[in-house]
Amino acid sequence: MNTLYRKRALLLLLGPGGAFLLFFFLSPLVFVLAESFRDGAGGVTLMRYGEVLQNRQFRLVFVRTLKMALIVTPLAVLFGYPAAYLMTKLAPGKKSILMSLVILPLMTSPVARTFAWIVILGKFGIVNHTLQVLHLTQEPVRLMYTEGAIIVGLLQLFMPIMVLTLASALENVQEEVEEAALSLGSSRIGTFFRIILPLSFEGLIMGVTLVFTGCITAYVTPAILGGARVLTLATLMRQEALVLMNWEAATVIAVIMIGTTLILYNGLRLFKPGNMT
Amino acid sequence: MKKSKLLIIITAVMFFFLLGPFVIIIMSSFSGDAIMKFPPRGFSLQWYRKVLNIEMFRTTFWVSLKIGLAATLTALLLGVPIAYANVRYRYAGKSLVELIFSSPAIVPGLVIGFSLLRFFIYVTQIPIIIGLYLGHTAILFPYTVRVVSASLRNFDMGVEEAAVSLGSSPLHAFFAVVFPNIKSGIAAAFILAFITSFNNVPISLFLTGPGVATLPIQMLIYMEYYYDPTISALSSIIIVLTVLVVQGAERLLGISKYM
Amino acid sequence: MSYIELTEIDAGYTKGLPILKDFHLKVEQGELVSLLGPSGCGKTTTLRTIAGFIMAEKGKVVVGGKDYTRLPPNKRNVGLVFQNYALFPHLNVFDNVAYGLRRRKVPKSDIPKKVGEVLKLVSLSGYEKRLPAQLSGGQRQRVALARSIVIQPDLLLLDEPLSNLDAKLREEMRAELSRLQHQIGITMIYVTHDQIEALSLSSRIVVMNEGNIEQIGPPEDIYERPATPFVARFVGFDNHIKGTLSSRSEGKTVVVIQGRKLVSTRALSASVKALNPGDPVEVFFRPDDTVLDDSELANTLPAAINFTNYQGYTTGYSLNTGGTSIRAVVPGKPCKDTGRLFVSIAPDKLIVEKC
Repeated sequence: MNTLYRKRALLLLLGPGGAFLLFFFLSPLVFVLAESFRDGAGGVTLMRYGEVLQNRQFRLVFVRTLKMALIVTPLAVLFGYPAAYLMTKLAPGKKSILMSLVILPLMTSPVARTFAWIVILGKFGIVNHTLQVLHLTQEPVRLMYTEGAIIVGLLQLFMPIMVLTLASALENVQEEVEEAALSLGSSRIGTFFRIILPLSFEGLIMGVTLVFTGCITAYVTPAILGGARVLTLATLMRQEALVLMNWEAATVIAVIMIGTTLILYNGLRLFKPGNMT
Repeated sequence: MKKSKLLIIITAVMFFFLLGPFVIIIMSSFSGDAIMKFPPRGFSLQWYRKVLNIEMFRTTFWVSLKIGLAATLTALLLGVPIAYANVRYRYAGKSLVELIFSSPAIVPGLVIGFSLLRFFIYVTQIPIIIGLYLGHTAILFPYTVRVVSASLRNFDMGVEEAAVSLGSSPLHAFFAVVFPNIKSGIAAAFILAFITSFNNVPISLFLTGPGVATLPIQMLIYMEYYYDPTISALSSIIIVLTVLVVQGAERLLGISKYM
Repeated sequence: MSYIELTEIDAGYTKGLPILKDFHLKVEQGELVSLLGPSGCGKTTTLRTIAGFIMAEKGKVVVGGKDYTRLPPNKRNVGLVFQNYALFPHLNVFDNVAYGLRRRKVPKSDIPKKVGEVLKLVSLSGYEKRLPAQLSGGQRQRVALARSIVIQPDLLLLDEPLSNLDAKLREEMRAELSRLQHQIGITMIYVTHDQIEALSLSSRIVVMNEGNIEQIGPPEDIYERPATPFVARFVGFDNHIKGTLSSRSEGKTVVVIQGRKLVSTRALSASVKALNPGDPVEVFFRPDDTVLDDSELANTLPAAINFTNYQGYTTGYSLNTGGTSIRAVVPGKPCKDTGRLFVSIAPDKLIVEKC
């Protein structure tokens, strides 16, 4: 505001928060990063990465985690896009009701939300009960502690994020533009792919990024629905650190997690509507 | 309009999938059975009684509440000035500052918790509860900065200049003129940040020690050992409280526009 | 010494990239001076430098004998009125107006009287308890005015205060501002891009362009005798045609355009006086200072009609004369296009400028 006091003001405004993050967030992270490259004698080594990457279990878990994210994300788009689109077309009153129905799950404890799936997928849960009533199976089927259970849980967990991100992007697509396309002879499907999708593309990329990285780093859902039987990167890291006390391995997994997230974050941004055709 | 029908069906399925589990969890919390079973037989409040009688839930609830309040207040206290600087000033390196203050939302929570334990708590021997507080505060920054920035952006800078030209110091102008007009934004930031802290698992997971755990962590621990509707009852309580807080916040503050 | 003196000012938003460079301005007590110019010309920068929201990198700002140069904005006694009113949304009219008094530690018991007086001055008595959101645009701007004059500022700075109002209200508020200025005799600096506003309000107008002053003078001077091509175009001399200087004698300048002689009887600027016959020049005239006829009158150029634009009382013409397109606005219905048309401009309406 006032050029004379600018520097001092900025320092006072940014200083305390900056110092906090520097001490309690950035430096520990940098230490983790540095530690993962250090050998016992104080030199630099990739040995730890070699060990982890050669470990069959790690590779299995890494591939599984990516695979689940690759399944959950398109499903979230498939269900999220129509829902978000429909919501933006509704009258304000109805829209805000549906909006709060999307926000509510987002605000609810993931532990509580994921626990519901135990009631549904458990040995004596709804699905097994239904299967037995319909005489489709005699014995309860194991649904819990499977990749399928985690995928369903993750999809429910991240659906609101996808819907909200898409809805706010679609909010900016003027209805007139769509009507203009229709009046110029575009079909509804054609209008979607030629007009609505390109105009909300940034929102889609944002939603995909958030859901994909969310799936890779999610802890609660795989911990409850996969347990020790179906490990993901997050549950594996926790196991290494807190159960096996293998801090070196946990550190390397942590860095791999950050790396994967950052690559996705920046990689997905490169997609622009223009680059598609 | 066939397409619209398809649209409605997909949306309905989506909402069923999103909200169905909530109905089921509440139903199962009133079960008369001794284990998790569906459909539940009989009706009882025994699981609610049990939740209230388990001391670990009570103590961890208080830990979660205190950590949530302390971390939220700290993140607001430090975050409001940052939001103010980013909205009001143009300066070199601003996008870097913005990136740094949003990074706690990008870096996986597990890694934040782990690094804080490994390279701060472990080194300084600070009590684990302090670590919990610090970790939670760090991850709340992105929320407080973002929400407060949004409400500052909607506030005309000229109004503040008017106050200064009428004789207010910049600090006085902030409290007399800016603050009263971004109050609801700050309140929205408070609620969002508090809920985020209260629900957090990944950070707390590593910052748990003997006698120190948050409620969600305690729930996870309980679930490892018991397979009964106690967690259903507790989850139902949490769901109902969340509904009340979120609906109240939406009515009073229009919290959804900050999401 | 003048009441307000800006001397050798360098000021801008980015250090080392000043918008105003070596800027000088003097304003006498009780004057209403308008800073007129297109956006980006530096008029708002000048205003903010006086208010203190921009600190001059160089030079001096003196108001009423007080050195303002290094004073922070809250220590300057300046009233500021904004385009978007900038009322405090959470305070009612009374508290908005009382804000500056309270900051100045005016005794509590005196505040209601002072606020009441100034609200009466802007005809808003009885509105004390209203919130800004409950007022119309014109009423909000009156509150903003009241709020800045109640502190008895050394001067009042107005930044496009009327541009958010509709045309009718703008006219009303203009009259109101004039009345206020006469009534309380406060020195005002008024930023606008609207020449009519500047012409009707000001005792003097400062026309600015790219951080420089093009011309300073009373409204009539600016409107009738623009000193530079920029000012000429800005005050409506929209038509400009290139030609050659033919002769120059006392009170009469002859320019040759398309082989025809056009006479101007206006005073010449110094730069034109330095020219010799045969040098290229440009003539300027207003679209509504033209006469159209199918026979050749004096001071005439042949023209062809591109299109006409019926506007009710007047008709607008887009014309072409020797490859230059010009506009004419003439009372009456569109004339018939017979293929033979002449534009004539009275000698006292024609400006000759260096090309």
